Amino acid sequence: MTDLTVPPIDQPLLYAPRPYWAWVAARLFRPLLVRICTAYLVILVIIALLVPLIANGQPYTCVIPAAAGHAAVREYPLFEDLSSTDWILLAVAAALAVQGVVQLTSRRLSRPQRLMRRRISFVIIAGITIIAGSLIAALHHNRLDATNYRSLARHGLITHAVFPPVPWGYAEMEPLSKGLINKLPSHRHWLGTDGDGRDELSRLLWGARIAMGVGFVSQIIALALGIIVGALTGYFGGIFDIIGMRLVEMVESIPTFFLILTFVAIYGRHILDIMVIIGVTGWTGYARLLRAEFFRIRNLDYVLAAQGSGMPLWRVLFKHMLPNGVTPVLVSAGFGMAGAVTIEASLSYLGVGVQPPTASWGSMLNSAGNPATVFRWWQALGPGLLIFITVLAFNLIAESLRDAIDPTTMGRR
Amino acid sequence: MTTYIIRRLLLMIPTLLGMTLMLFIIVRMAPGLTTGGGQFSAGIMQSRQAQKQEQEILERRLHLVDKNGHPISLPMQYILWLKSTCEGHLGTSIVYQEPVMTLIEQRLPVTLTINAIAMAVIYLVSIPGGLITALNQGKWIDRSYGFFSLALYSLPVIWLGSTLLGFLANPQYFNWFPSAGLHSTNTGNMTFFQYIADYLYHIVLPIVCSVYGGFAFLSKQIRGSILENLQQDYVRTARAKGLSGTTVLTRHVFRNSLLNLITLTGMSLPGLLSGSVIIEQIFSINGMGRLAYTSTLARDLPVIQDLALVGSVLTLLSYLAVDICYHLADPRVIYD
Repeated sequence: MTDLTVPPIDQPLLYAPRPYWAWVAARLFRPLLVRICTAYLVILVIIALLVPLIANGQPYTCVIPAAAGHAAVREYPLFEDLSSTDWILLAVAAALAVQGVVQLTSRRLSRPQRLMRRRISFVIIAGITIIAGSLIAALHHNRLDATNYRSLARHGLITHAVFPPVPWGYAEMEPLSKGLINKLPSHRHWLGTDGDGRDELSRLLWGARIAMGVGFVSQIIALALGIIVGALTGYFGGIFDIIGMRLVEMVESIPTFFLILTFVAIYGRHILDIMVIIGVTGWTGYARLLRAEFFRIRNLDYVLAAQGSGMPLWRVLFKHMLPNGVTPVLVSAGFGMAGAVTIEASLSYLGVGVQPPTASWGSMLNSAGNPATVFRWWQALGPGLLIFITVLAFNLIAESLRDAIDPTTMGRR
Repeated sequence: MTTYIIRRLLLMIPTLLGMTLMLFIIVRMAPGLTTGGGQFSAGIMQSRQAQKQEQEILERRLHLVDKNGHPISLPMQYILWLKSTCEGHLGTSIVYQEPVMTLIEQRLPVTLTINAIAMAVIYLVSIPGGLITALNQGKWIDRSYGFFSLALYSLPVIWLGSTLLGFLANPQYFNWFPSAGLHSTNTGNMTFFQYIADYLYHIVLPIVCSVYGGFAFLSKQIRGSILENLQQDYVRTARAKGLSGTTVLTRHVFRNSLLNLITLTGMSLPGLLSGSVIIEQIFSINGMGRLAYTSTLARDLPVIQDLALVGSVLTLLSYLAVDICYHLADPRVIYD
């Protein structure tokens, strides 16, 4: 009788087998330019989350000196004046930081342990953040504190004041009468002031929040819609396909920017409205891509095996098929984020974007003057460069991801 | 092929029905519409009576009320609008007090000319660009062309447009180019060639702004299709039978790669007609994009509805045309 047992491997493997995503990530981040772009975007996200602590008119803390009748009081004006949005975003930042620490500390564990720990911590942290966020949204009352703490500090009415690095809020104006509008960069305002006497640097930093928010949230909405429609049409085909593709054509046939303009003009200009509008007009490309991928994947052996083992449909679709078909969609999502940042800036430039005095890079470009008569190019330079670099960073990462997953470039470099 | 075309045309019907319904719901569910009609009428001096009359005419025109002044239900409004559109009557603008068809006839040539010139420039740069980068795949020229075209693609047109206008068409700095419009004021006493020269002089900046973003995508596509074709068996055959490298490239590879251009051109046709809102707004060009922009801001419902309708019919038709042309150019491609 022949011996069917496999001889044991006594030699260690030349290299450890890597999961697909680790392989893609390693190839993606190999070029220096991509690493720089990623670092830039990470910094921008951190600024977007923490901007009230970076650019704000109120001091972190100050002391109201003792006077007749009461002792000295320590106050925390900045923290008392944070809005519920600010608190929620701070909670998100904290959650991301904690998850980052977990990821780093679990690096040396074995793979199952590592995955287990990361998953558990993710679930716990996400849960806590969601609960905290809804509590904040429900209980926190926004306060409007218009006290000019800088002038109080100057006149000695408060002492020991610690101001943020950029001591100006995005809507805080210099008095128009004092000739402090449209100022060139100076010690007082590092990038000058705009036509309403507001600090340019502070507005640039606050604009990052709008740009990043629109970029990420709108594309998450678009991805969710596109993945659902694309997965269902691609997997089932037939009548699902016909209906789903008609839906895609319906949205696609109207020029996108025109559709967005119509939505915005009719339904409103709140930042959440704009995120949703860009999302619901931008999902069709993702649906098309995923549909094509699912057509290809649905007859592969491992899908048949998954179906045959009696798994629920959602598990087959999203656990087995999606990870193998989602990479082209992710490439497209990178370009989509760049597109969303551009669209938001364009809407704000045309004056139909987020409402003033909210700082958006597009509206800052617009307020740099009427280009045909008065053009203050230094005011246009900051927002223009930031839009350009942000969009370029998203595009470069997307392009690099496309190269990383493209099997024809495997041998190169 | 005929059955395919008929099937595609039939499939367009549900798409268009769904599109019109979606559009109708978006536009008609907007808050504050029925009362807002009269405020756009031109005459401030009109009496109350005249204003009221105008409002009534407007409401009847939008199928909000019937002949006797009774309000019509929303689904019925939709059916009536669809009916009059199918009979070929596009609406009448509230703001301009002119039929939408007239507005389109005025604006379309403006947009079409600019976009056609822009597209020609894009092709003139991108086709050689794609060819050169494909032949030098992986070398520095390929990489730097790829990077710079992507950088140009990422350059926001709102920044470049306003900066160009601010520096080159501004008495404050250099007053080299006109800042707005497409013609000088004294076009009446110009000869034909002066007229053309004046027009070209006016469209320099808008054309620059419309073309620079288009190079990246098109060159990348052409590069990709040339690289793909270079690996085909027929190229090896052609080389093996002794054709020179240039002949293989120009007669075989390049011509086959141009097939992809059909798709790309077809996909960009709707954009050609609809125009760029931002460029037309920055340079004050009265084209289709600006019409769309002003009418959405003024909530000029008939114009919004009809522009979207015309746009989507043209888009769907050009998608169909792409597929048919592809079949004609490459008979191996068969649809069923």
